[in-house]
Amino acid sequence: MNAAAEQSPLDQLPGDLMMWVLIVSELLVFGAGLAAFLAVRITDPVGFAEAQDHLHRTGAGINTVVLVTSGFFAARAVRAADAGTRAATRVWLAAAAALGLVFLVVKGIEFAAKAAAGIGVETSPFFTFYYLLTGFHAAHVVAGIVILGLVGIRSAPRSVEVGAAFWHMVDLVWVLLFPVIYLLR
Amino acid sequence: MRTDPLLRAWGWLLILSAVSTVLAGAVTRGLLPPAGMTAAGAAILFLAWAKAGTIISRYLGLADAPFWHRGFRIVMAAYALLLLALYAMA
Repeated sequence: MNAAAEQSPLDQLPGDLMMWVLIVSELLVFGAGLAAFLAVRITDPVGFAEAQDHLHRTGAGINTVVLVTSGFFAARAVRAADAGTRAATRVWLAAAAALGLVFLVVKGIEFAAKAAAGIGVETSPFFTFYYLLTGFHAAHVVAGIVILGLVGIRSAPRSVEVGAAFWHMVDLVWVLLFPVIYLLR
Repeated sequence: MRTDPLLRAWGWLLILSAVSTVLAGAVTRGLLPPAGMTAAGAAILFLAWAKAGTIISRYLGLADAPFWHRGFRIVMAAYALLLLALYAMA
């Protein structure tokens, strides 16, 4: 019998239990938002498709590459922290946070283009969901960058693991949000 | 020589994202028949579920926690089916 099978379920859970509670809570909020988006889409599929044509899919696709790469860097930071290499941990965390900033810049350009085109929260139900879900997600990216910076100060393995878990949650939400809002027709 | 699981997960996520974007591009350009569009949408949702599973397994490390890994995968699969049902109803 392997070690994981001998442990109780709670002992198996990597990182901090409260971070997992936060991760599940956030997934429920975004999950409900995306389900509501698709439910409202049933009432006006043509209007949603027309509105979706105003989105910049290439920019969002680039942001997907940016975030999954950033998640890879955060996971490498956890590995470096476990190995006790503080300098490498900080470099990986800084790289992850830097890509988080790139994500925000691309997102900012996208929001600015929408504003310039006169598209706002009240333009249509599609854009109400678009701004709420992507805006709320962007706020989590900001929080994640701050958390990565804070856990990098001491670079303690447990703190880095918790900070990276938050960052992976942000990543996880985006890989669900991106196809539902930007790609599904 | 075995590839680093993290590196493999990252590469896998990039491939799945690229396939999703190509599928969506085919739909947007009208390259698919109506029935194909629905199938492409289902495929995009399946790819999203696969990406989420990779992040849960490798980035979040649940591959080493079988109980939670199984639970998360089941819940994510149920959620993907809910999204698929809502998508197909439009």
